[in-house]
Amino acid sequence: MYNLKKINNNFTIYLPVILLYFSSFYHVQMPEVGKINFFSFNFQMILIYFYVLKFPDELGFGNIFLAGLINDTVLGTPLGTTSLSYLMLSFFTSYIRNATLRSVMTAEWFIFIPALFFSNLIYLLIINNFSNLSFYYIELLQNSFFTFLFYPIFYYIFSYYQKLISKE
Amino acid sequence: MADNRDDFIIAIRYALLKKGAKQKFSLFFLILFSISIITLDKLAPPFMKSSRALLNDIVYRVAVVSSQPIVFKKYLFNKFKKHYDVVKENKFLKEEMKFLKLQKFNNAYLKTDNEVLRNALNLYNDRTMEQDFTVTAKIILDQESPFLKSFLINKGSTDKIIKGMTVFSGEYLMGTIIETNYLSSRVLLLTDLNSKIPVIIENSSINGILEGTGKKNNSYLNYIPDKYVLEKDKIIFTSGKDGFLTAGIPVAKTYLNKKNKVLIRLLADPDQVLIVHVTNGQSNK
Repeated sequence: MYNLKKINNNFTIYLPVILLYFSSFYHVQMPEVGKINFFSFNFQMILIYFYVLKFPDELGFGNIFLAGLINDTVLGTPLGTTSLSYLMLSFFTSYIRNATLRSVMTAEWFIFIPALFFSNLIYLLIINNFSNLSFYYIELLQNSFFTFLFYPIFYYIFSYYQKLISKE
Repeated sequence: MADNRDDFIIAIRYALLKKGAKQKFSLFFLILFSISIITLDKLAPPFMKSSRALLNDIVYRVAVVSSQPIVFKKYLFNKFKKHYDVVKENKFLKEEMKFLKLQKFNNAYLKTDNEVLRNALNLYNDRTMEQDFTVTAKIILDQESPFLKSFLINKGSTDKIIKGMTVFSGEYLMGTIIETNYLSSRVLLLTDLNSKIPVIIENSSINGILEGTGKKNNSYLNYIPDKYVLEKDKIIFTSGKDGFLTAGIPVAKTYLNKKNKVLIRLLADPDQVLIVHVTNGQSNK
């Protein structure tokens, strides 16, 4: 009984890490609605941004780095590209966390725009200079836009979840 | 101004180097590590190739395992959808069966009516599409011969098979009986050089003689008008002008080969046939 409770506690604590790794291994294909894929968003970026900003001890940089490597392997992009992109996002987020005194959801949401831009810029630069891959820029833009748009939804979900586990 | 710059540098240094309570690696170290991995991946030294191959194998296996819950969910969804479709189809089939039962009586009436009218117009003759004799036979020998394209079936004159009967594979014409024995018969295939049947081309009034060339995918249409250009995807039917076969039996189809040339392919594939039907329905009594 004690072991079960321990497993349950560990699961709740490590859920963000589990989610990060799971989303690296398995990319959920969302159905397209017309020409625009509304559900095409980067869940990992939202997760990293939220946890590095609000609960930095729950999601380690080592895990982010490793999840990026897995993502690169699954997608076939040059090894280390996503890792560097996610680490840049983490760096930007850490800087914001250190620079701001009071956290306001709307402010954090809008700061997510330069964070996304900075991260995707690194991604694009590496892809263009270190590989022969070509991709649709419009899709990346669309993905970034919906990632930004869906942030508040996940913000409330993750906040609620963190409240729940802190009560336990 | 200088204070602001100092704050900025301190915040950056803090973000890069501070590990936090539970962090094992600093961001600075991991960023450098990522850059070195990208560089190594680009330069591709020998050890990198094998490492990447190993990593790929491990990650792919784990990715397959991790996708199983989603695959199972899809499987359940598909099963449920299939079940729902079967229920829907069953309902539809029941209604269709009810309708067809009603149609059966209607058809019986139309048939009788047709026969009465044919008799009244003196159109009734002995030749009919209805088959009053059908024997199912198995191919017992199908030897490749450079002279004769034929095969032997396991039914002969003891099964009332006579010379001249037509042989079908499913709905398509295969050939005719040219030799009957007590317990076996020989069927001359349409692919044989000696096979010549009068035909008519779909959606046209062009008549010709379909001749075998020894190849199932390249029959020859002889005696067609000189200026007539054969089009692709046209069905060729028997014309019934020989008084031997009834008109309207599908025999062959035109198609476009790899060199964009229109050729004629027989509908029945002699190489794939195991069971044939010998009938007298299409023969001239």
